[in-house]
Amino acid sequence: MRIFLLSLFMLLVAGGTAYAEQPVERFFPYAHENYTLDNGFKSILIPIKGSGLIAYYTVVRTGSRDEWEPGRSGFAHFFEHMMFRGTEKYSSEEYNRLVSEIGADANAYTSDDITCYHMVIPNTKLETAMDLESDRFQNLSYEEGPFRTEAGAVYGEYRKNFASPFSQAYEKMLDTAFDKHTYKHTTMGFEKDIKEMPNMYEYSKSFFQRYYRPENCVLMIVGDFDPAKLKPMIKSYYGGWEPGYVPPQITPEPPQAKERSVDVAYQGRTLPLLWIAYKGDAFDPADKMVASAYLLGDLAFGENSEIYKKLVIREQKVEWIAGDFGFNRDPKLYDVYTRVKDENDLDYVIAEIDKIAETFKTELVSQEELENIKKRTRYGYLMRLDTPDRVASGLSRIVALTGGIEAIDELYGTIASLTPEDIRAAAQRYLKTERRTVLTLKGEKS
Amino acid sequence: MRTVVVAVIMSIVLLGIGFASASAKERVVFLPADDPTVSFRILFNVGSQNDPPGKEGLAALTATLITEGSTQKHSYEEILELLYPMAASIYDQVDKEMTVFIGRTHTDNLDAYYALFKEILLEPAFSEDDFKRVKNDYLNYLQTTLRYSQDEVLGKETLYEFVFAGTPYEHNEEGRVASLNSITLDDVKKFYQDHYTRANLVIGLGGGLDKDFAAKMTKDFESLPAGEPSNVPAPQPEDIHGLHVKIVEKEVQSTAISFGFPIDVTRGSRVFYALAMATSWLGEHRNSFSHLYNVIREARGLNYGDYAYIEHFPRGHRRQFPPPNVARRQQIFQVWIRPVPNETRVFAFRAALREMQKLIENGMTEDDFELTRKFLKGYILHYAPTTMMKLGYAMDDRFYGIEKGHWDTFAKMLDELTRDEVNAALKKHLSFENIKVVFVTTDAAGLKDTLINNEPSPITYQSEKPAEVLEEDKEIEAYPLSVKPENVTVVKVEKMFEG
Repeated sequence: MRIFLLSLFMLLVAGGTAYAEQPVERFFPYAHENYTLDNGFKSILIPIKGSGLIAYYTVVRTGSRDEWEPGRSGFAHFFEHMMFRGTEKYSSEEYNRLVSEIGADANAYTSDDITCYHMVIPNTKLETAMDLESDRFQNLSYEEGPFRTEAGAVYGEYRKNFASPFSQAYEKMLDTAFDKHTYKHTTMGFEKDIKEMPNMYEYSKSFFQRYYRPENCVLMIVGDFDPAKLKPMIKSYYGGWEPGYVPPQITPEPPQAKERSVDVAYQGRTLPLLWIAYKGDAFDPADKMVASAYLLGDLAFGENSEIYKKLVIREQKVEWIAGDFGFNRDPKLYDVYTRVKDENDLDYVIAEIDKIAETFKTELVSQEELENIKKRTRYGYLMRLDTPDRVASGLSRIVALTGGIEAIDELYGTIASLTPEDIRAAAQRYLKTERRTVLTLKGEKS
Repeated sequence: MRTVVVAVIMSIVLLGIGFASASAKERVVFLPADDPTVSFRILFNVGSQNDPPGKEGLAALTATLITEGSTQKHSYEEILELLYPMAASIYDQVDKEMTVFIGRTHTDNLDAYYALFKEILLEPAFSEDDFKRVKNDYLNYLQTTLRYSQDEVLGKETLYEFVFAGTPYEHNEEGRVASLNSITLDDVKKFYQDHYTRANLVIGLGGGLDKDFAAKMTKDFESLPAGEPSNVPAPQPEDIHGLHVKIVEKEVQSTAISFGFPIDVTRGSRVFYALAMATSWLGEHRNSFSHLYNVIREARGLNYGDYAYIEHFPRGHRRQFPPPNVARRQQIFQVWIRPVPNETRVFAFRAALREMQKLIENGMTEDDFELTRKFLKGYILHYAPTTMMKLGYAMDDRFYGIEKGHWDTFAKMLDELTRDEVNAALKKHLSFENIKVVFVTTDAAGLKDTLINNEPSPITYQSEKPAEVLEEDKEIEAYPLSVKPENVTVVKVEKMFEG
């Protein structure tokens, strides 16, 4: 049934382009190959000819979600910094020098469910990149002095972010919405924990031993290369990596029983922020409810929504409003946020959000609206695939959540199959007062 | 990797498009590519330098009212509805000398998208309701976002005002609170009429389309009035003598620091690439290759990063690579020190200034020079990987008159330039003595005292540091600062961008 609907959908939107020639159940336009070593280390190879560039992504399926021990919030992100501190074979200086010599655009990021190390390199430099990357993932080694110095840089990053009202609101939102689950803290971590980081040298080694293991990491190589030549290289560089992943002991969040609220006083001037977050579900590409929620966020609160037109354009009560019902490994939050121009309108805006939620719970979206958002979702994704780096970066979260990229085709298949009734069911499930936390942030000097 | 760059430039050809006139042909940069999308960049050689006195912000407001407003055929709501299924948008970018409208669509939707794109640019409605909304957004940006929640951007914008004081580059693109309040819808309409003309127009078009489309599009834009080029004399910023300090005072835990000076070297000249090499070594943007990053962040953990620039780089806090179409006749050399704890603000500034002095006086070492050459040979490939970015740079090449293209020239210069040339260039064009610096910080009086009295700024660390770092710290702490009291100004944050 899903395949039939998807093919119908593809015919509707693809209109005789190159994409229409793809098998109908395939959404992702590039062929890929999975290659898994005996130690559990998986590589996803996506050859795209022509650019002379290669995106080299190592996805660690660990993020701030995995910081389950008390006082250790922010550690995944801090550890990402430590990964640049060298090995026996290549000191930090040598690593940096070699990365520079090959002209790599290299960096890393951490979020709730992922730590991702990425570089884009000329394709002639692939082996140097693999030598460097495989070495640090297996043999990271650093002294306590540089460890403490890096903790200072992390605190600097926290301070850099702290001036933003969004950072402060985000920290407070998570802390209020969650009681037990590690999603309670941001990826930066609680400030008190960041301050303590310089004293956690021993702990950092245990973090590396447990999470930086071949079964928990996925290599994604996208761009101008020959997969047949690459496989022996992967085996030779990563084959000796010892397995030993220890999963985190994350306490599931108990169901939320009633509405929560929190007011944040921002020590500066800002327009008031209103942020309503509904408890969501864990990502599952086959789950119609999750896929419906993903569309619902944009249908109800996106820039083509009725509430956007009313509050942003016609009444000009808010600067913007947006819905982000994203994907997480465990149930997290489906967010609706807006910046309100006048503090006195906060209650009115909340009432309007409630009104829209009610509409979606009781009425069906039109078939046309649904087809439009499906089309938007599809084109939005396809248009982001214009460089090897963008292909890899667009896939990295799915890799972190599921361990592979097959979920992309499955997710878009599920999306294509959704009906107006599915959207209504998602609204009825998620847009409940008792599932939500309402945050307001007001400037003290406004 | 040179060949990639060369191939790109070679492909910017006008493949026998049927243009209405020779002048129309000159207005088009066409970059066909095997690409499932089409990229549009419609550029007008007009920018915030064209804002009339007292109406600062007019160029930017006009552009945003076009991209976020109604047309004569469709309300803004309807436009959003029509764009929605295509996952496409159109947005504006306004700098001192250029305004560019940027859009991209999947080839499946080309006709529908282009119809809207054209309508948005050629038939704006300039309605009162849209005007009110967009102006309000601008005012909120200045009064709340910029002053209170983006200290680093605040520091940079203050530096640009400071460095280009008295020139048409002085005010930030978004204008001032008073000037925005004085702008009327009639001002916007007149600005559009006067400056959105064929004389100022450059059409950039790239991706999966054919020459017939380019010809059709050129013809469509012939409907703009002929107009005259918007002649604004090139800015002549005043010479800087000594160290000039501006302190933006607000309550903060961390201090954002930016410093720099005007520089009249622009893209295309040999000396530009020499300086670009030295600047890359000193402070490649958001890259651990940056020497300043290694001195201030890596060795000492004072902040998140420290970078240097030979060209304007807007919104660097959000981007890894600069956007094209912010070309200028007058550039700024600047150093960006990301927020440091307040107690280390003078130390961090001294450390950066000392590195500047060392670089200028001693030049790059042979090892640093060769490493930079290798690094940039690969790294410049990342600046324009997409059709959209290549198109933007090709349009900038027109502005700067770079026949063989900026990136191709850069690659060639990396082979040709010698260390002596680079070192001579930085000695001639860079300075560590005649600069303007901005601190966004608390306790302005304390900072002023430290600076004008050249008080030492000792530092302590939470962690053990290698002996050589501690040894160097002694020199940094006492690095001489010569600041005259009359060269220090303090501004309360609430007064910034006011009038």
